[in-house]
Amino acid sequence: MDILLALSPVVAVSVGALLLMLAEAFSKQRAGLALGAAVIQATGAVFAGALWLYGIESLNGLDVLEPWLIIDRFSLFFHMVICLGGALAALLAGGYLREHRIERGEFYALILFATIGAMMIASAGDALTLFIGLETMSIGAYALTAFRRGSQRSAEAAVKYFLLGSFAAALLLYGFALVYGATGHTDLQGIAAALRGPAGSHPLSLIGMLLILVGLAFKVSAVPFHAWTPDAYEGAPTPATSYMAVVVKAGAFAMMMRVLLVGFGDPRSMSAFAGWPPVIAGLAVVTMTVANLIAGRQESVKRMLAYSSIAHAGYLLVGLVATIRSGDALSSVLFYLLTYTVSTIGAFGGLILCGSYGRESVSFEDLAGLGKRHPAVALPLAFFAMSLAGIPPTAGFFGKWYLLKSAMEGGFHWLAIIMLVNSVLGAYYYLRVLVFLYMREPAPGAPVAVPMKSGYVATALILAGALVIWLGLCPDGALDLAAKATLAGR
Amino acid sequence: MGTDIPLFHYVVLSGILFTIGGVGFMVRRNILFSLLSIEVLLNAVNLALVAFNRMRPQNHTGHILTFFVIAAEAAEVAVGLAIVIALYRLKRTVRVDEADLLRN
Repeated sequence: MDILLALSPVVAVSVGALLLMLAEAFSKQRAGLALGAAVIQATGAVFAGALWLYGIESLNGLDVLEPWLIIDRFSLFFHMVICLGGALAALLAGGYLREHRIERGEFYALILFATIGAMMIASAGDALTLFIGLETMSIGAYALTAFRRGSQRSAEAAVKYFLLGSFAAALLLYGFALVYGATGHTDLQGIAAALRGPAGSHPLSLIGMLLILVGLAFKVSAVPFHAWTPDAYEGAPTPATSYMAVVVKAGAFAMMMRVLLVGFGDPRSMSAFAGWPPVIAGLAVVTMTVANLIAGRQESVKRMLAYSSIAHAGYLLVGLVATIRSGDALSSVLFYLLTYTVSTIGAFGGLILCGSYGRESVSFEDLAGLGKRHPAVALPLAFFAMSLAGIPPTAGFFGKWYLLKSAMEGGFHWLAIIMLVNSVLGAYYYLRVLVFLYMREPAPGAPVAVPMKSGYVATALILAGALVIWLGLCPDGALDLAAKATLAGR
Repeated sequence: MGTDIPLFHYVVLSGILFTIGGVGFMVRRNILFSLLSIEVLLNAVNLALVAFNRMRPQNHTGHILTFFVIAAEAAEVAVGLAIVIALYRLKRTVRVDEADLLRN
């Protein structure tokens, strides 16, 4: 019974996904499916929240699940973030797919199954469950990317995403196979224990760790392993893009944190001058700088947001490096992930709202003057762009603030300075959205964007907006939540 | 039984397979060859896992992981081929360098 209780968030979404498929098969009506998918994922989040309040530590017999699935506060936190992001993305899809005449029930089923995969990754304590969760999530995401079947861009994006995604999975697996050869373990805690011994300097475990790092860098789309991200994000239908930017990214970061902090958490693999932290620090610097520089040159808002999500991955990597020295850096990373989730979903939702059938708004030019013609429609996009830029009183400000603080406390001043410079650099292209919305007039004769009307999208935006304001005005509650999300085995 | 091939040989073979797969993935522009290269990479993974498990007969961790890799890969390739077919229907090509709509 306790085990069922501990797994209830995953079980709720799984049962819901099956019921949704049944409902899709036996009813002609599509309209309620988006709401259904959102409610199912919200239920998952509520179950995770209830478990959190009840106290996961007081449940007995969970060691039967270990090392395959580890249900600790870290995974519960991720279950909540993933379900929240998935639910909001499903609401966005409800408006978008109908408007653009591509509504089919599979989209929601795919979202739900990918969410299950992401939740599984967040609690995976063994290479086996990690891989199964990763594949469940990725296969769903590939299909979501290719969802607009008549569009060459969608198919091209899916091909690129699929090829690089499965290549990365293969690298990750080969890394785990080599580490298994050196240590005899595929479970993360076993790997960590074995690496403290002579296996830690075995060449196989070193090569394996390097391959795992490359595979993880592909999955979180760190530069120079980011090539797939802009293409996949631009070509996919916008709700699928928002889902990838939020849920898939959260899943990838959960995987990265658990693998690096638990699996490679021994002193030899995790110190400021040896092992993975210097590599991740280098990746963080390159990722932030390159992504921000390229994002400023984009003509397409969607592609700009793709590069911005790469830049945010770079900020998160800074926090990940800081975790090796500063105790509460992990909570800053988790808090940042939460603020990033609500801001990004909102930004993509705002972009969806600005377009309509045949007139999808994707480029900056499309947005010109929208703030004057339709103030209510332009407001969400402007607001969430400000949150992504980190302007108070939005969530993004405190997210960046706490990350910088942990980097300083961890003694990584140079990383904090580079991150600060990069946030200023990033503000340029977010503010460019505002400039086009409010200070430009559309070129004469150019097609002007016609906003769509959708209750689903409006609901998602209001929810995300309320969260952004709440996190921006009183971050203490959520920060406290993140601080309690400790990682078992650390 | 009676085979006494040392573990080292399996590891080297798996490394060679991995290199072939990796180079093939990066060099070939035909998507079907990229898919095949990924399969070769995963076979390198499977070979390594099974070989390492042979060294540690007390449990079946490597064997079990191998089976899961095979199963998950079958699912992944099914989706991948569907995507390639969708691309072929729209563009009449299966080459990555001819799929170039998405650019900076």
